[in-house]
Amino acid sequence: MIVVVGRLGRWALRQLGAVLGVSVLIVETVYWLTVAPLKGRGFRWRSAVEHFVEYGVRSLPIVGMICFLIGVIIALQASYTLDRWGANRFIADLVAVSALRELAPLMTAILIAGRCGSAITAEIGTMKVNEELDALTVMGVHPVKYLAAPKLLAMATAVPSVTVIAMLIMIVGGWVSSVLVVGVEPEIYLAQTTGAIVEKDLVTGMVKSLFFGLVICLVGVYRGFRVDGGAEGVGRETTASVVVAIFLIIVVDLVFTVLFYYL
Amino acid sequence: MKEDRHAIEVEDLVVAYGDKVVLDRVSFSVRPGEIFVILGGSGSGKTTLLRTLVGLMRPRSGRIAIHGQNLTAMSDEQQMEIRRKIGMCFQGAALLGSLSVADNVALPLREHTRLEESTIDIMTRIKLELVGLGGAGELLPSELSGGMRKRAGIARAMAMDPEIIFYDEPSAGLDPIVAAGIDELIRNLRSTFSLTSVVVTHEMESVRLIADRVCMLHRGRVAGIGTLAELEGSDDPYIRDFLTRRPAESDADETEWARSLTAVD
Ligand SMILES: Nc1ncnc2c1ncn2[C@@H]1O[C@H](COP(=O)(O)OP(=O)(O)OP(=O)(O)O)[C@@H](O)[C@H]1O
Ligand SMILES: [Mg+2]
Repeated sequence: MIVVVGRLGRWALRQLGAVLGVSVLIVETVYWLTVAPLKGRGFRWRSAVEHFVEYGVRSLPIVGMICFLIGVIIALQASYTLDRWGANRFIADLVAVSALRELAPLMTAILIAGRCGSAITAEIGTMKVNEELDALTVMGVHPVKYLAAPKLLAMATAVPSVTVIAMLIMIVGGWVSSVLVVGVEPEIYLAQTTGAIVEKDLVTGMVKSLFFGLVICLVGVYRGFRVDGGAEGVGRETTASVVVAIFLIIVVDLVFTVLFYYL
Repeated sequence: MKEDRHAIEVEDLVVAYGDKVVLDRVSFSVRPGEIFVILGGSGSGKTTLLRTLVGLMRPRSGRIAIHGQNLTAMSDEQQMEIRRKIGMCFQGAALLGSLSVADNVALPLREHTRLEESTIDIMTRIKLELVGLGGAGELLPSELSGGMRKRAGIARAMAMDPEIIFYDEPSAGLDPIVAAGIDELIRNLRSTFSLTSVVVTHEMESVRLIADRVCMLHRGRVAGIGTLAELEGSDDPYIRDFLTRRPAESDADETEWARSLTAVD
């Protein structure tokens, strides 16, 4: 019993430490992203653009492909049920609503977490092991300014941008299988889709994806700075980074769903 | 004035990792323009001392003054200012792996100055020539040999024309000829720029070549300070054993000390 309480206490303390660490990181990053540039201390725009290309543009092929296939699949699955009622035209509504509200933001975030969240942790962790972070500090360059701030801006813009495209592609995927396989009239599908899309769904999807981007980047950076003890340390934190990021993405998703649709 | 006489002053410095006191009441001062060598065996706290001097670690107590300004009483912000006047060469060079050698050297200039890109280019090339890496600017750190990497690290430390430069084991792990080349570079930089140089090492060969004065660390304490000749005349048995490269008479003691530092409680 005492052992259990002790374990629980230590676990709680560790989590508290993590929360504190992340909070400090958030404050510092926001400072280097907003206050510092105004005070003339600079922001690495070029690095932010390069990272936007890496996180956003380079993620498009895989995100596009997967979202297209998911669109195709949802339409086919939906038809299985809707066909019995002769309601195949409502496939369009189902695809549009689930793409905008849930699936496009979620799939995009999870894929980018896998592709880039791990890369962020590995990059920063390796730099820490090689004393490159210490070298930056000694040169008077704050590692958060040099590494975290440009990445956060890039991620916070890249994830929503890719998400919009993913929404579109998913709807196209649904259109393709509905029209070619199920046999819905193309114009009807289009009309149903435009009828089903409401502004709120689009906005909530975008807001969520913005926060997904922040989560991916902050978890990646935090885990990278935490690396300790050589190459295994980098490996350990990199794996943990992806798992934790995906878990937090789902939690954030749940929170926003409740906030937007149940309050 | 006091600050004219000393580039660095360290007084009663105590540094600890958790409960483990690694540096115990260390005091010394470094004169402007001299090569000050910190000598000591493995685990004697040399790296820890250097990291504390450049502000990477906070001491538990004691005072560090750089050009008379008290580093330990400063905010992070003020420390960042001081850091522009110092350069540090890390043991593993710590070049940013994603940048070319030239970009590594240019990094402090790009971050701290508003110079034109063409000016930065020229300054970078000058620094690389200075350390004998004139043609290697376009290479990535991973494409360099160990000695070249050390030289690139020195070029980067020199980028902002520092007044003080710190070297952590500059010639460790290099073959004797390359190591001697680095020692010569350290001397040349000092005589050209009257650069105050603090060198951490455990290699007697390089101490003989470069040191103006030596500070001998033993178990986190200063065992002796002075010119090499003065230390060689010391009657401290540890200093004499170290300088003449004799196995310590009290080997059991050393293991005991190492264990006390690494003990997990
Ligand atoms: N991050 C750390 N956490 C806990 N203890 C440490 C840490 N780094 C160093 N130490 C302890 O401090 C002591 C001094 O270490 P330091 O690296 O300063 O020695 P050193 O003189 O540079 O040795 P070497 O010549 O092997 O590089 C070591 O014995 C080690 O036990
Ligand atoms: Mg060392």
